[in-house]
Amino acid sequence: MKDFITKKGIYIAIAAVVIAIIAAISVALSGGRGDIATMLSQPFFRPIRNAITSMVDGLEQIYNYMYNYDQIEAENQELRERVAELEEEYREYTQMSQEVDRLRELLGFSETREELKFTPVSVISWTASNYSSTFTISRGSNAGIELYDAVMTSAGYLVGQVTGISESSATVTTILDTSMNVGAILYETGETGVACGDFRLFRDGKLRMDYVGDSDSTIIGDTVVTSGESGVFPSDLVIGYVESVGEEGSNLNTYAVITPAADIEHVTEVFVVTEQAVSQEAGQ
Amino acid sequence: MSRRRTALKILIFVPYMLVLYILQAMLFPYLKIAGTAPLILPLAVSGAALFNGRVTGGVIGIVAGMLCDMSFNQPTIVFTIFLAIAGVILGAFCESVLVRGFPSYLLSSLALLIACAVVQMFPLLFFRGVQLGPLLSVALVQTLYSLLFTIPVYYLARFISRLF
Repeated sequence: MKDFITKKGIYIAIAAVVIAIIAAISVALSGGRGDIATMLSQPFFRPIRNAITSMVDGLEQIYNYMYNYDQIEAENQELRERVAELEEEYREYTQMSQEVDRLRELLGFSETREELKFTPVSVISWTASNYSSTFTISRGSNAGIELYDAVMTSAGYLVGQVTGISESSATVTTILDTSMNVGAILYETGETGVACGDFRLFRDGKLRMDYVGDSDSTIIGDTVVTSGESGVFPSDLVIGYVESVGEEGSNLNTYAVITPAADIEHVTEVFVVTEQAVSQEAGQ
Repeated sequence: MSRRRTALKILIFVPYMLVLYILQAMLFPYLKIAGTAPLILPLAVSGAALFNGRVTGGVIGIVAGMLCDMSFNQPTIVFTIFLAIAGVILGAFCESVLVRGFPSYLLSSLALLIACAVVQMFPLLFFRGVQLGPLLSVALVQTLYSLLFTIPVYYLARFISRLF
């Protein structure tokens, strides 16, 4: 061991000094960017170093995640609650916005029809029957609603009529139902008739107008409005538009297929006409 | 003991009927096939009558009838009376003639659904002058669609009937 240190040690020391001198010269020549050994080893060690760095970073992230897990979880929960709150607020805002639109539309309509008074109601449920078209509304006689009151949309499109009533709710039969008959006028030609539900058309969401005088004079797309003659329905509420005209029976009675102006199957909020005093007085 | 058992069965059948009512009145109107929704409350009457006889069949018939009338937005008269009578008749028939099994249940349910369609069509046909053809097509779709629900309704009715 002693020999090794004395004999070989001298060579090793010399080699070390030589390497150090070469390194010093290479550093001096490269302008301080590194010695030749470092420069030569970089391409080999860089990927390894990168891999180790990434591994360490990953481990550090896992450590941080575990160490801060509770905090992150709480933060996440808080954010979820906040998102839920914001979603709820957005839903409320959307509903309010739609309601404002409807009321604005109704205001526009009511300004032209000052003789009518309305009660806004929500649709609670639709009938489960395949043979009728009725729905239940959220208010009844306590809100001043009476049997046979007309029901319409905010735009003044006729939806139906109150046919059943309790204190807190009422049943509305739509104009599509086979029991409904409404005195009607074709707006352009002035022809009168009766708009009524037809079972063949009812599942397509349409109704018919009977007693149309002459099929040639009927204009496709003409607006059908209530005549108001019976006193049950206010006059000039839009029922729908003429889609087609046909003849049936041995007398070739003319009828028109009407597409309702209101989207009856999808109404969620409607207005019950609780008073039509002036119009009735005018009628008398 | 037998009366008590019958009363208990009816008590358990009532919430079961309420669930069927909720499905019929609130869900199925949105799940129409060819514009037609199924009718499932009469299926429960058929099940109750098949497994428990005319008394339970009749009582369940009254409850189902009331719920049916409510789901149709009409006064609780027509179906309340009709399903009560149907429950008693089916119960008596099942006590004496039919074997308590799925084929018998399917047959009695089919008969009851056809009878329900006839009851529904009657006023339209005779008082409102609606033609028979369109009514029959609705009745056919309604009956076939409703028959799809016989399997779950049958097994639940059998489960309740075997509880006591």
